[in-house]
Amino acid sequence: MSDYAIEIQGLVKWYGSVQALFGVDLNVKRGEILGFLGPNGSGKTTTIRCLLDQIRPQEGKIHVLGIDPQANPVAVKSRVSYLPGELHLEDNLKVEQILRYFKELRGNQIDENYLKELIERLDLDTSRTIKNLSSGNKQKVGVVQALMHQPELLLLDEPTSGLDPLMQQEVYALLKEAQAHGTTIFFSSHILSEVEAIADRVAIIRKGVIVEESTPSQLIDMAMRQVNVSFLEPIEIAPLEDIPGVNLLSTSDLQATLLVEGNMDGLIKTLAQFPVKDMKTVSHTLEEIFLKYYREEDQEDA
Amino acid sequence: MFVELKHSLRRYRGQIIGWGIGLALLGLLIVPMFDSLSEQQETFEQLLEIYPPEISAFMGDLSGMTTPEGWLAIEFFSYMPLIIGIFAIQMGSGLVAKAEEEGTLDLIMAHPVSRTALFMGRLLAFILATLGVLFIAWLGIMIPMSWSTMDLRGIEVARPFLSLLAELLLFGTLALLLSMLLPSRRLASMTSGLVLVASFFITGLAELNENLETAAKFSPLNYNQTQEAFHELNLSWLAGLFAISVVFILLTWWRFERRDLRVAGEGGWRLGKWAKALKRGA
Repeated sequence: MSDYAIEIQGLVKWYGSVQALFGVDLNVKRGEILGFLGPNGSGKTTTIRCLLDQIRPQEGKIHVLGIDPQANPVAVKSRVSYLPGELHLEDNLKVEQILRYFKELRGNQIDENYLKELIERLDLDTSRTIKNLSSGNKQKVGVVQALMHQPELLLLDEPTSGLDPLMQQEVYALLKEAQAHGTTIFFSSHILSEVEAIADRVAIIRKGVIVEESTPSQLIDMAMRQVNVSFLEPIEIAPLEDIPGVNLLSTSDLQATLLVEGNMDGLIKTLAQFPVKDMKTVSHTLEEIFLKYYREEDQEDA
Repeated sequence: MFVELKHSLRRYRGQIIGWGIGLALLGLLIVPMFDSLSEQQETFEQLLEIYPPEISAFMGDLSGMTTPEGWLAIEFFSYMPLIIGIFAIQMGSGLVAKAEEEGTLDLIMAHPVSRTALFMGRLLAFILATLGVLFIAWLGIMIPMSWSTMDLRGIEVARPFLSLLAELLLFGTLALLLSMLLPSRRLASMTSGLVLVASFFITGLAELNENLETAAKFSPLNYNQTQEAFHELNLSWLAGLFAISVVFILLTWWRFERRDLRVAGEGGWRLGKWAKALKRGA
């Protein structure tokens, strides 16, 4: 059995004359939560839909839980759950009817107690008709149908879209519990705090190519940090300019502002020879790092 | 497949009941009318003699209207493909494409159901729904017949319904095939509807204009059996219509198995592009 729940190699997808994926390579380990980030139109949903054989790539190999989804889609889908980014449900059905339909499509192999628990925890009224539900409540239906059969792999396209903060926290808790039971979770999101909170690893896709794969903390560590240092007396600034990976942004008699890439070791050792009054470090959030990729794309487009 | 069949039938029950009752009410009206006209048969025959041949071309042999078969053929079965054809075309074009355009198919197909099982489940539901509508319509004729002077057996009345079923399946499966080939469901419905209307007129006009006889041979409604069907069906025609439907079904299935599933918003009218092109041209 492979260590990976998802293995993607050289995935290429064209929609007519428009190329959406340019050779995506990505592996997701069994039992991990991978946050899949990228600007709109970068290829997140296309990648996810290829995993379920909803769309067929022109090139590349995919294995989901060791199975080729094109060769045996039903075997893949019986072990995988999916929550689409744009969830559309049959408007005229009641919540209980649509859940029953999804249950029947899965051969009624559902733990009824777990289903009841999901409905209670997400505060979902199953007697209501889909067309009368708010977008947040529809999203709850989507979350319930994805989790109810306790799949080996969850493919979630923006799982907390439309949910209020309390419900978002409940969904994070449910996902963490699913992971604790061995479920692998592959989810796309635009909410960076959510990725930071629950993802073990992050993959960033841009223009149909994976541009970064790392843990959230590694990504943050790799980013530039701004350091503001104040001194007890005026100092000779030259040693600060020669530290590898450090850029001096501004100086005054008793202050220096520096931009540090990577670790702080060189800077701290250099500062040790000066009378330092205070030092403040401004860390970048994952959001800022992600925005960097967005901006790079905008600049390239310009 | 059976889950999808059950679910689809549940979804279609409103349409089955609505269309079925509509047609049954028509039957309930037409059958007693025959009795009223029979009482004044001589006057009615004189009236028919002065009818222009164009009406005969579209409605069938008017001289047969004084018989129960002729009356039902002209007053019910002659134009029925045009009326209930709309139902078949709407159902056929929407069988898969409606769920695709509404975005619901994306999640359904993420469940462990193969494309073939989904397609066959829905197709079977469409066939059963059509049969259901026609059965209710048949009841609408048979029930008032018990207190009418019309003396036709159930099997005799069922025969033109069988021919009608073949026509409906043909137009329904044509719409289904087009919904897989054309960019939107609406375009598939419209194109199939045009074929239906064109077929009706070509078949009718061919009775008046010899030049249209060749074209009429390619018209599906040319093979719709009405008055003559009460006593004997042309089985070759019937088999031919069913065979064409089977070809349409196989082509649709082949296409559905191989194409990308669309999501909501895809495959609509691309007026934006045309508008831009027109602006550029101006």
